Amino acid sequence: MGGRGVNEHDKQQVRQILKRSFPPVHTELGRDLWPAVLGKLDPCPIPVPWYDWALIVVSAGVLLFFPQLLLVFAYHL
Amino acid sequence: MDLFQRFALGEIDAFETLVRRFQGNIYAWIVRIVRDPGIAEDLTVETLWRAYRARKQFRPDGNFAAWLRRIATNLALDHLRRKRPEQSLLAEPAGTPPTDHVLEQEIREKIQQAFRRLPAKLQVTATLALLEEQPYEEIADALGISVGAVKVRVFRALRVLRKQLNRLRVSR
Repeated sequence: MGGRGVNEHDKQQVRQILKRSFPPVHTELGRDLWPAVLGKLDPCPIPVPWYDWALIVVSAGVLLFFPQLLLVFAYHL
Repeated sequence: MDLFQRFALGEIDAFETLVRRFQGNIYAWIVRIVRDPGIAEDLTVETLWRAYRARKQFRPDGNFAAWLRRIATNLALDHLRRKRPEQSLLAEPAGTPPTDHVLEQEIREKIQQAFRRLPAKLQVTATLALLEEQPYEEIADALGISVGAVKVRVFRALRVLRKQLNRLRVSR
């Protein structure tokens, strides 16, 4: 690795110096982070059941062949 | 079906249970690395969110805590890479000669600076190994490297720090 080596004594010495220079950190979490995590989650898309899709396809087909029924559909919507 | 399987399937209740169970552990790990409670909270939230998004990659029979810790460590590394110190390490203080107390404070700050100027990978490894005295196996697992590689990083960090401390004439 080149250069001057580092022995166990050096290691302990640097460790002590670092410990004196960096105050210890408090590792206790002060609050529940679940609300923040939940806020970041994508809103779940509402699943559309198959029969709704079938109804849309049938309605589109009916309107294609009988466009005059549009008013009837509009009335019921 | 167990909790981890339900999580992997995207059940939000299972995820909530896991967040409540592991958030303290992840926060403690991150705050040791970044040494700032506010940033550690943000990174903990980010870790948990990323875990949920990557849930399909998690094997329900795997070690969930270790998987989370690896995500957390990568995020902390990214944070340290973005936040590099800008001040010159050995800038001379201006003005009147400082008192012993001020001098001591200055040296402490310069040691902190020297430490923060280490490449992020060395800084994380040295923080966990030297300051926090975490087992090498745990560090290796969190960084996704071998124990041998952890030892090499600690050695390199020590060599750089030793050199900087000598320049600052700090030997005790």
